[in-house]
Amino acid sequence: MEHLAQSLINGALMGCIYALIALGLSIIFGVMNVVNFAHGEFVMIAMYGTFTIGTMLIMDAVATPIITIPLLFIFGALTYYILIDRTLRERYVTQIAVTVGLAVLLRAVAQMIWQARPRSLPFSSIQGNLLLGDINILTSRLIAALVSIVAITAIYFFLAKTWPGRAIRAASDDLDAASLVGVNYRSIYALSFGLGTALTALAGGLLMSFQQVDPTMGLRFGLLSWCVLALAGLGSIPGLLISGVIVGAAESLVITYWDPRARLLVVYLIFILVLWLRPRGLFGRK
Amino acid sequence: MERRLRTFRLLPLLAGLAFALIIPLLLGRNQYAMVLATTVLVYSVLATAWNIIGGMAGQLDLAAFAYLGLGAFTSGTLLLRWNVTPWIGMFAGGLVAAAFAALIGYPLFRFGIKEVWYALSSSALVEVLRIAFLMWSNIGGPVERYIPFHAFSLYHMRFASYIPYYYIVLALLIAALAASYRISRSRLGYYLLALGQNEDAAEALGVNAQRCKLQALMIYAFLAGMTGAVYACIYGYIHPSFFSAAQSTEIAILGIVGGMGLVYGPLTAAILLVSLKEFMRANLGSTLESLYLAVYAVILILIALFRPQGIAPWIRNTFARGLARLQGGKDGARAASARP
Repeated sequence: MEHLAQSLINGALMGCIYALIALGLSIIFGVMNVVNFAHGEFVMIAMYGTFTIGTMLIMDAVATPIITIPLLFIFGALTYYILIDRTLRERYVTQIAVTVGLAVLLRAVAQMIWQARPRSLPFSSIQGNLLLGDINILTSRLIAALVSIVAITAIYFFLAKTWPGRAIRAASDDLDAASLVGVNYRSIYALSFGLGTALTALAGGLLMSFQQVDPTMGLRFGLLSWCVLALAGLGSIPGLLISGVIVGAAESLVITYWDPRARLLVVYLIFILVLWLRPRGLFGRK
Repeated sequence: MERRLRTFRLLPLLAGLAFALIIPLLLGRNQYAMVLATTVLVYSVLATAWNIIGGMAGQLDLAAFAYLGLGAFTSGTLLLRWNVTPWIGMFAGGLVAAAFAALIGYPLFRFGIKEVWYALSSSALVEVLRIAFLMWSNIGGPVERYIPFHAFSLYHMRFASYIPYYYIVLALLIAALAASYRISRSRLGYYLLALGQNEDAAEALGVNAQRCKLQALMIYAFLAGMTGAVYACIYGYIHPSFFSAAQSTEIAILGIVGGMGLVYGPLTAAILLVSLKEFMRANLGSTLESLYLAVYAVILILIALFRPQGIAPWIRNTFARGLARLQGGKDGARAASARP
């Protein structure tokens, strides 16, 4: 019984970070309908950024997002202006070709700069564990999950209450109507793309507090975040959080009770089943 | 005139075929060059087969190496367990891959999964198969299963030289090209093209989208499965890493930047880009690891951004324009000389 609870809690905590990553993808896909195949690579770059800044400035992984968030925001906005903006009027396959090219480029650049071996930060000030009865919770994961939830809530209120947030939602609902009432779509798109990648910076910092990074990670995080997004459906932020937790818990249960190698197998099977049985997702509005 | 035009169109094809046939005579002594030529051909076959589902039917399939892997494992296992020749294993592999495609494709198309979601689920499928074969220790497992070496054995399809493999893959390429040419001129091909352009409109006109897409997927899977059987013999082992999501995506990208829906589009892209990539790997690889990959990615992005219709239509148009200018020049010259 403790095993079950332990496994569920570990997975649910990890799932909050998955939801944070998927939220970035959801903003990019939901607002401009751009299929971003490089999202996982942005997570990977964010993790390497955390590694470099952490080692150079002797900074804690959890503190590095102060620097990496603005950097990845600028990187994302530039990616929009240089690459994505030109593909908006093209077929979706052109967008996929461009973002796949970007993913390969980021992977190659990561290999050139940081080499192919896994990297991790030597320490994090957040250590130790909490004991709840028989259940052992790693503090680093707990903090990471809490920060993710706070960030997701903040984004929720940003989209619901502020002018730029409303402009983003307006552009995602009806671009022409939004343009008519004075929304400049290019700056809104750049803002959305920047926001989407900036969220990976936060996730990267949190992940590096207890994990290592290697250049092939992008593919896995990419598919994982598409899976969370498919499960949640578009347009529901609380739904994303729940889906992230479901995916994380499923992964963790498989590791505990079946075989660690099968963890992604289950994630992908959930993904394929959701697409077959409920393409709108559990909480989707379109 | 009509007839001359047709021979004119056939000419590059015949020239290309003749060139492909004599390549081993030119490069045969250099085994490395033969490996490269064979690799280019393997990618060409896969990209040409991909074009049937991806280019014509407009379903962005990212699972080429799933079907290739199934073919490789079927043929390899038949050879290792029961000493069945890969020449039969090839067809068995193709059939297994096509059957699997039918199994996967039926619900996919039945539930109308399209575009991004189709692409992503096919990409996930490759990973599912890779992990499944890694865990299925009777057939796959983490250790390579070596196919016994023979210096020259037609029965085992094992050769010390790459030249026989080159010709086998070339034959597969010709088969794939012929199949996709036949399809592009058939009722199925026109249906697929209509589906690729606008699925709802095509269905409204009475095209059975589900059935056509399933047929296209199965033909593509069959060709990829057959290639897989040869692939296993070329590499000399079977391993779950054959199920590579990254390489599968690369096949689709070759199809997209080559020119979707054109029979020779993906072939053009595969020949130009894979040669370029391998050339850069050999020459830039020593200066900085994976620099070649970065350059390759930049080239892919530039083509996708500035020639969204693909390389093949671009080359064809440039060629046609040059020809017209040449003819125009001749006419002009004739007109000038006719002047008294």
